[in-house]
Amino acid sequence: MKKYLFLMLLLSSSYFLHAQSLLSTKSGVAKFNATGGLVKIEAVNNQVDCKMLPSNGQIVFALLVKGFRFENQLMEDHFNENYLESTKFPKASFKGYITNIAAVNFTADAVYKVTADGVLTIHGVDQKIQTSGTITIKSGKASLKSDFNVKLADYKIAGSYIGEKIAAEAKIQINCNF
Amino acid sequence: MKKWIIIIGSIVLIVAAIFYYVFIYAAQYKRNVNDEKAIAITAVELVSDYNNNESEANTKYLNKALLVEGFVKEVGQNQEGSTIITIDGANDFSSVFCTLKDVNKNVEVNKKINIKGVCIGFTSDVVITDAFIQSKN
Repeated sequence: MKKYLFLMLLLSSSYFLHAQSLLSTKSGVAKFNATGGLVKIEAVNNQVDCKMLPSNGQIVFALLVKGFRFENQLMEDHFNENYLESTKFPKASFKGYITNIAAVNFTADAVYKVTADGVLTIHGVDQKIQTSGTITIKSGKASLKSDFNVKLADYKIAGSYIGEKIAAEAKIQINCNF
Repeated sequence: MKKWIIIIGSIVLIVAAIFYYVFIYAAQYKRNVNDEKAIAITAVELVSDYNNNESEANTKYLNKALLVEGFVKEVGQNQEGSTIITIDGANDFSSVFCTLKDVNKNVEVNKKINIKGVCIGFTSDVVITDAFIQSKN
């Protein structure tokens, strides 16, 4: 009897581990803000693909640049054609690790501060970055948030926008519910 | 005298036209896929094109209006409340992932569907955005 109980326990724990094995979403949100002057230069992307492995903190983001929506269509066209050259470089991604994943208890409701190390690829240029964010656990569901700045010059993003001032650093906000 | 009136008149017209373009037309113009002629394709074909050669598929489909036909695999809502539909691509690893422009509550899993939208590329799925449902059979 004891043997069976142990076996059942083992089986159920392995099932639980399996359920925790990969967190993913295809509809994460990324916001972009490069307002430098009076006119706001903001865009939203609702189709961020994000996968995270809670066991070792590995994390991968991929988004399609043409998925950014501006209020102003001409601004969107400029963003795609002149700045990000999204026909040549359709994707932006981040691949890396959450360095303090051990601090996150995926079964206890709380807000955990995390830091991530990895490579951010925008406009075909790879840059090593370190950024911080939060993982929120609420009734068993995880969500990930991070705000960071991107220096446009680091990614060889240059263009001349007529009329509006574009900031040298763009603010990126990531929000993914798993 | 008459010549001057014509010259000044035309300058005023040109300035007004530029003003209209920069401040009114540019602010209101929005791309609408529904008005565009779409490339008709099945989800299975689209997924296999992207799996075979992503860059070649991008030259064919990227930023174009597509009319994708296939079977609904999953329906859901994204974080902003829009309806998201996954169309089966007959492939365990990738399918066609569509985000509708509006909310649509009448989508059923396993039913055949035609979705029109802009193809913005490939992550692990082919991604379609600003989409509309064309017809259901």
